[in-house]
Amino acid sequence: MRDMPRDTSDLLHGTLDLLVLKALSTTPMHGFGLSKWIEQRTRDELEIVDSALYKALHRLEDDGAIVAEWGVSENNRRARYYSITTRGRQRLRAETATWKRYVIAVSGVLETT
Amino acid sequence: MLRELDEELASHFAMRVDQLRALGMSEVDAMAEARRRFGDADEYHAWAERRVTRRARRLRFSDWVAEWGQDARFALRQVKGARGFTAIVVLTLALGIGANTAIFSVVHRLLLAPMPYANGGRIVMPVGGADAVFPFRDRPSAELMRAWLARTHTIEGIAGAAELMFTVQPDGSVDTITTAIITSNFLSILGERPELGRTFRPEEERTSAPTVAMISHAMWQRAYGGRRDVLGRTVEHEGRPVTIVGVTPPGLAVPLSTNATPDIWLPGPLEQAGDGNGAIGGPDLYALLRPGASVEAATAELRTVAAGLPDSVRGSGDLRVVRAQDLLDGRERRAVQVLFFAVGALLLIACANVANLLLARAWTRQREFAVRGALGASRWRLARQVLSESVLLGLSGGVLGIGVAWLALRLIVALRPPALDHLADVHINPAVLLWTLGVSLVTGVLFGCAPALLAGARAVGDVLRRETRGSSAGATSRRVRSALTVMQIAMSLVLLVGSGLLVRSFAALQDMRLGYEPRGLVYADVITGRQTRERKPDITWEILDRIRSLPGVTGAAIGTMPGKGFIGMGGLEVETDRAGHTTRVPMLGTIFITPDYFRVAKIAVLEGRLPDSTVVSPDAKAHIVISPEVMVNREFARRVWPHGGAIGARLREPRSTPGPWSTIVGIVDDTRTPEVHGEVAAIQVYSLYPARLGNVPFIVRTRTSADVSAPMVKHAIASLDPGIYVRAMTSGDTYLRNGLAPTRFAMALLTAFALLALALAAVGLYGVIAYGVTQRTREIGVRIALGAEPHSIVARVMGSGARLALAGVVIGTALALASARVLRSMLYDVSPDDPLTIVAIVAIVVIITLVASYVPARRALRIEPTEALRAD
Repeated sequence: MRDMPRDTSDLLHGTLDLLVLKALSTTPMHGFGLSKWIEQRTRDELEIVDSALYKALHRLEDDGAIVAEWGVSENNRRARYYSITTRGRQRLRAETATWKRYVIAVSGVLETT
Repeated sequence: MLRELDEELASHFAMRVDQLRALGMSEVDAMAEARRRFGDADEYHAWAERRVTRRARRLRFSDWVAEWGQDARFALRQVKGARGFTAIVVLTLALGIGANTAIFSVVHRLLLAPMPYANGGRIVMPVGGADAVFPFRDRPSAELMRAWLARTHTIEGIAGAAELMFTVQPDGSVDTITTAIITSNFLSILGERPELGRTFRPEEERTSAPTVAMISHAMWQRAYGGRRDVLGRTVEHEGRPVTIVGVTPPGLAVPLSTNATPDIWLPGPLEQAGDGNGAIGGPDLYALLRPGASVEAATAELRTVAAGLPDSVRGSGDLRVVRAQDLLDGRERRAVQVLFFAVGALLLIACANVANLLLARAWTRQREFAVRGALGASRWRLARQVLSESVLLGLSGGVLGIGVAWLALRLIVALRPPALDHLADVHINPAVLLWTLGVSLVTGVLFGCAPALLAGARAVGDVLRRETRGSSAGATSRRVRSALTVMQIAMSLVLLVGSGLLVRSFAALQDMRLGYEPRGLVYADVITGRQTRERKPDITWEILDRIRSLPGVTGAAIGTMPGKGFIGMGGLEVETDRAGHTTRVPMLGTIFITPDYFRVAKIAVLEGRLPDSTVVSPDAKAHIVISPEVMVNREFARRVWPHGGAIGARLREPRSTPGPWSTIVGIVDDTRTPEVHGEVAAIQVYSLYPARLGNVPFIVRTRTSADVSAPMVKHAIASLDPGIYVRAMTSGDTYLRNGLAPTRFAMALLTAFALLALALAAVGLYGVIAYGVTQRTREIGVRIALGAEPHSIVARVMGSGARLALAGVVIGTALALASARVLRSMLYDVSPDDPLTIVAIVAIVVIITLVASYVPARRALRIEPTEALRAD
């Protein structure tokens, strides 16, 4: 999986949005922080190329699920911080439920084989 | 929008690289890995652009304008983000642009619009020549002018104008007012018309005293509230009422005059405007060239006319016709040109400083640019962003610079020498503002160019690969910055040498042997009306007795302040030997005196005796006549009779019917004024006062200060008769101060600019060296860790500063030697390549540059090796 960035991004197209919303529901983050957060939580099993991550961020921003504003990072660099909106939280709840049902469904299919 | 994305990604990249390097990756590897992890940048960028287009479709009325707006906003944010940096840059620019604006206002007033008349370009002046002994310009006689006018095909007419200065007004207030005496055709020759009323009629030139006057637009507004019924009212001139018949157009001045614009205009004939009293130099002659005629043709014609006339009418030397605008006073013109050059150099130095600062910043921002470039921002776009920033800075500097210029102009007006009195009305006009705008824009582009090229033209991959410390990546930038610094040091040295020469001239002028004692001397120019003189023929002697009897007065005599003689229009014819050979002295100062003049002024009599006042002139009816016995000064004697023999020689006025001869009976010491160019005043003839002039100059020696004695003298004179009043008064100290004023003016301004230039250059050098230290922190840290001696570190850092300083000093000295010549006419008793001045200035510059590089050297010593090795 590691050296197939495009496949990863295709596979994760919907899930990446979910991960981003989940991450941002804890605290506002900048893009790089988000990338680190996902890396840590997924124990590097998923390497998400950065461009995909930013596309997801911009998609969510256009959708109104998150908003961005400029801030200063822990290393004193200017960074664009994203935070989740009420609309984003609703979407997170709805999609988390969908995802769980989906996982259960897919797992069930896989296990019965 | 895209700009935000770019910025966001630049920040992302930086953090990613930091993270990877913290894991132990090399910079190059970290950059490569960061790019790999980003994925397909081109694809991402294309996506982002589509997204922006999607979002902004409705807003796309003009992408181009919007992008510029974006650039400006971004520039503003950048500029706001670095307040200290911005403040320094804007202040530096404001000083440079402000100095430029101020001097440009002066240039505009003095040089660019010197002949603001409808016929400006066609106004020419006939001038007589100079010869080897007396290199002065002469004015041709009115007789010659009339002969020329009768036969000319090249000119349309000739007008004359003379100016009189009054410091004491008829109402007793002390204020300088200029009165011009003009021929009736003066306005029409200039191509001007009265704003109100009429100009003079030819017959009005000929009255024994003027009966009509025109007043200036300014006086009309000031004293009469601009009312039209001013015509027919009277003003007073020399105690007599004259009727106002017209108002001159706003700002009308006598061409090329450096006096304040005249408030009162009176008619007078071409021969003489007034009785020559106090009108030093007599009337100037202005001819109007026919359209299509050349000055060469006019000169040839004038010479042909003169050839057919007797010597006494023809005048001396080489007759010429020159365009009036070519005759602007070379000295003041030169001073203004020098100052204009100086502020130009100052602005370049300021630009170099700002360029240096921007280059340093561009270097630290290089990674940001590189990433943006990698993510698809075009080079043009990056360069444009840098240029937007610098133009914004330039414009801010310009706005603040107008304030600086306003202050500088107040200073210039306050310091202006009497010879540049018309500078009082200099101001920041629209033409000047346009200039400032232009200068600000050009400045912004100029200092922004180098960083912009660096930001835009650098191959992006190159930077990413080569951005390892100590590599040659910054070599171009460093070379550019070093060259700029060398240029700054060289230019400030040139300015300093110029100001040093002026300082030395000023000191020499203050120490000059004057040949008389100005302290305790009071000068009063007294007008005695014709009727008063007819009523009281001895009024002059009565005034003298009255002054002598005042308390504190130790002596009084008739005579002008030394050096301020009456300049005879036709010059003098002088016997050079006993065989009857003669020479012409074109212009010289004739001082009318009583014999005790020399005792009162404390001028030494060197040879011979004082003139005998009982020897009476046979030509006593003439207005101005030289007494039968005269004295000359040493310089006169030396020039005409270099081997002696002045005493006993004769001289006379060269008129069509030559006047009687006068004999030189004594030689007195030279008197000088601190005016560098008082060459005319260097040749003096002292003649006994003819007692028939309308004005009498007195000098009074007092024991008290001029503040006390001057009003006393004035009151004593005015109380004698209502027809008498004091026209002008001055003290010896004021007189000296005014003489020093032109040199002080040029010296003060040039020194201020030169010191400012040096300060900027020092800051520039400091910046370059300090930045070098920062860049080499690790290298220096390693050296310290390896046990390098502190002095070797200091020597290394200062060595790089010293190399730049040395290059700057060598180039600057060469430039100073090459350019100091332009200062020659402004110097007194010091040569333009004066070694002492140059050595002293070089020493000052070397010391300042060493200090400027010592400070960062000290900082290098404080580098902690452990921190340096870890440092970013």
